[in-house]
Amino acid sequence: MALHEVHTEHGADAPAPSERRPDSRPAPVARRLRPQRNRLTLTVLIIVALLITLPFVQLLISALTPASEITADQWLPSEFRWSNITDAINYIPFLNLAKNSVVLSALFGVLTTFSSAITGYGFARMRGPGKKLLFGVLIMTMMVPPIVTLIPTYLLFSRYGLVGNYLPWVLWGAAGTPYTIFLYRQFFSGLPKELEEAAIIDGAGRIRIFVQIFLPLSRPLLVTAFVLAFNAVWGDFVAPDLFLNSNNTTLAVGVSSGYTNQAGYTLYNLLAGGALLYVIPVVLLFLCAQRSYVRGFANSGLKG
Amino acid sequence: MSTLPVGAARPRTSPAPRRRGGRSRGIRSALAFYGFISPWLIGTLLLTVFPVGYAVYMSFTDWNGMTSFMPWVGLSNYQEVFTSSDTISSLSKTLILCAVVVPTTIIGSLFLAVLLNKKIRGRTVLRTLIYIPAVVPPVAAALIWKVVFNKDSGSANRILSLLHIRPVDWLTGQLAFVVLIVVLLWGVGSGIIINLAALQTVPAEQLEAAKMDGAGALKAFRHVTLPAISPILLFQTVLVTITTLQTFVPAILLSPDTGVNVYTSIPQSNDVYMVDVYEQYFDYSRYGLGSAMLVVFFAVILLMTALIFKFLGRSVFYAVDPSESGRG
Repeated sequence: MALHEVHTEHGADAPAPSERRPDSRPAPVARRLRPQRNRLTLTVLIIVALLITLPFVQLLISALTPASEITADQWLPSEFRWSNITDAINYIPFLNLAKNSVVLSALFGVLTTFSSAITGYGFARMRGPGKKLLFGVLIMTMMVPPIVTLIPTYLLFSRYGLVGNYLPWVLWGAAGTPYTIFLYRQFFSGLPKELEEAAIIDGAGRIRIFVQIFLPLSRPLLVTAFVLAFNAVWGDFVAPDLFLNSNNTTLAVGVSSGYTNQAGYTLYNLLAGGALLYVIPVVLLFLCAQRSYVRGFANSGLKG
Repeated sequence: MSTLPVGAARPRTSPAPRRRGGRSRGIRSALAFYGFISPWLIGTLLLTVFPVGYAVYMSFTDWNGMTSFMPWVGLSNYQEVFTSSDTISSLSKTLILCAVVVPTTIIGSLFLAVLLNKKIRGRTVLRTLIYIPAVVPPVAAALIWKVVFNKDSGSANRILSLLHIRPVDWLTGQLAFVVLIVVLLWGVGSGIIINLAALQTVPAEQLEAAKMDGAGALKAFRHVTLPAISPILLFQTVLVTITTLQTFVPAILLSPDTGVNVYTSIPQSNDVYMVDVYEQYFDYSRYGLGSAMLVVFFAVILLMTALIFKFLGRSVFYAVDPSESGRG
């Protein structure tokens, strides 16, 4: 579990209990105060953690509640109905939707990871007129909300009959992700100059230097970039809702609109099951790749 | 770092050809630079600049998406954005949402970050648990809370019944706005991560010195920690504001019946700005007005970003990177 490694150790550990006189050694009172304060901290944090986690517990309980008991006024159902889960999978074309999600997320993830690496390398290690300005533009585009470009892009694409397939994701992927480019640029800037110089003496071209020297060195970042990109597409609702149709849309759209009966009422236990299955891979991926996530989050701020 | 320029080691012949060689090398390296950044550059032109330009153009027309020509109407769409009761109502809802969500998120995440920064037992587990909602996609977050606030089976009403309060219809009336706020606040974890990273940039010596001077924990926090992290707090405030302004997915997915036509069953109280934009485009086919609304929104974002640049400079973008901490 890598979370604590990323940011701890030095510096701002919470200011210690107050000591009145500058020359005094830690008074016994202060020493006794510390565990008590920590106990208060711990209590607050445990309460917050419980409040934040409880919706997941409710989701699990609802997912396993038989349809006949979903409206009953009780905390737990009389029995956990595990076949609800298979019902949730069968009620919508769950596996097909999941496959679409995986294909689309991986397609975008691979493309944007490499494209961002290439552009990041350009900004980090090469010179050209207007570089400063373009880098400013890059940082500005980091702040552009996707929804601003999404609707006009959709109108343009549908005008030329380009909707209903994965082409937009291919193009978005090939264009790179501003934030990921920024990460690569930071990473490549920090590498020693000798790396290129030796290769240039050997007569290697820029592309070979990038592919054979820099790309392999950036492996940790490749993982971060891919995980962030995969997660972004897996979690995206608006773009697949606009650009795709019921045959090739993703799980996000399928789960959020599929669990209704003929009359249009939501089947809450199946919805809970579907949402649970939809979210489990994301949480697992987070637990496995915490460091990547944390790095991405700490930089990108509060996305969606 | 004082490394010699690449050219310096070369034997000096006559200066003129060297300069010429330098120039052609300059052109070649500039071409290489543009070659490397071309995927992004072309992509940005095609997929960001062009669509935004298209929206700007549409905003001056009264196009409904059906006709082959776009009737020019000048600024009347913009006039409508700022005067029509619909947009004013959706805009004010969005601003209220920001007024609640932004300060709560900033202060709450800072408070939790300070607590999680202490050396306590089980810190890693607590951090992980508190972060998890931040990685849950907005779609899933909306669906999860929809289950929690569901009138018949949700635990929100169960808790109310413990207090002898009758079940409440959370998702249809005014209360849907409360649920929307809860969904947005649930993702407080990503703010905590930024703040934890920010807390590492506070110079330990200064905290030590403050302690030596007899400052209590609160005082040290106010006079040392807060000034040190204030650029990041401001940056975060802008980011959270931008994110909250574009609230869309939770607003549409919280509505109780998600049939084929999700957008029509959104409770009035959750008709925030982006939902309004969507409705103008896809319910009323008012591409012009929708575009004008998008352009206004875009201008506001640009203005906020420009202000951040002016007051904080680019360094704040570096400062929030934990692997780079100490630089900002």
